[in-house]
Amino acid sequence: MESNVPVSYQEVFSTDKGVVYQCDRTNRLILSFWGSTTPLSARDFAQFRRMVSTVNVHQMALSTDTADDVEILTIPRSERCYVLTLCEVIHLRELLNGASLMLELNSMLRECGCATLSTLG
Amino acid sequence: MKDLDRLRTLIKEPVELVLNQQIKMEMVSSSKYLAMAGWCDRNGYDHSAGFFYKQSEEERKHAMKLFHYLCDQGATAYSPDVPPVGQEFDTLRSVFESALDQEIAVTDSINRIIGVCRREGDYATEELMKWYVKEQVEEEYIARRCLELIDQIPADQVYYLDKKLASVTYDENPFEDE
Ligand SMILES: [Fe+2]
Ligand SMILES: [Fe+2]
Repeated sequence: MESNVPVSYQEVFSTDKGVVYQCDRTNRLILSFWGSTTPLSARDFAQFRRMVSTVNVHQMALSTDTADDVEILTIPRSERCYVLTLCEVIHLRELLNGASLMLELNSMLRECGCATLSTLG
Repeated sequence: MKDLDRLRTLIKEPVELVLNQQIKMEMVSSSKYLAMAGWCDRNGYDHSAGFFYKQSEEERKHAMKLFHYLCDQGATAYSPDVPPVGQEFDTLRSVFESALDQEIAVTDSINRIIGVCRREGDYATEELMKWYVKEQVEEEYIARRCLELIDQIPADQVYYLDKKLASVTYDENPFEDE
């Protein structure tokens, strides 16, 4: 998964299921999950995270309806969509929330005039 | 690493969220005032109806001020779903009681937004919200003064009361610049 990563990509957060990178050259966040790689603007990334966090996982878990076995999530301004099982939704949530926390930390460091994440190594 | 969110907008997500909720609240207020205007109009309180029609427009302007602010600053403003509001009232007094209730709810909401602004260190939005704080002082004053007049003016002087209610203003608002 990590082999052909462009040099401009900085890892924001990773789990064993995926990685979120930031590319400062294109001002994009890159979501790498389930073998697909999708560049997103910061706004679309935030919107997608909200979409993932509002999936009703309880209904997915409890329902016997086959329509509730998977959740179809369309990535904003992209042709791509994910068809995810309950476990995958949870994994994606973990990845996106982790990345979002790191981005928030980066903001906080900038706000208080400290070095931002990359310069810390 | 660049702060991409900050490059896009000075407004943070929690602030964007509460401002969008406020847009909705102002639009609900606008809808409520329109219902009050309609009730007054069909019950012969023409002056009060005029007062509420104007209030309804004002509330829409309050919503639009926030809507434009979000858009101008690179954040996202959502056109809100406005749920159905009550169309019937028992008495003229109960109309003005609802108006005061609504204004108090808005004041509380504005104060909570300022709390969020302070927590997030968003002094620009806090500055904008100060306009709403002053506005609320005036709106609460007017609603209370109207209720006082309803209590003071004898019940048989309906026409006089209606006219008086529509003319209430807050000229001495200590927060107004001019
Ligand atoms: Fe208002
Ligand atoms: Fe108001």
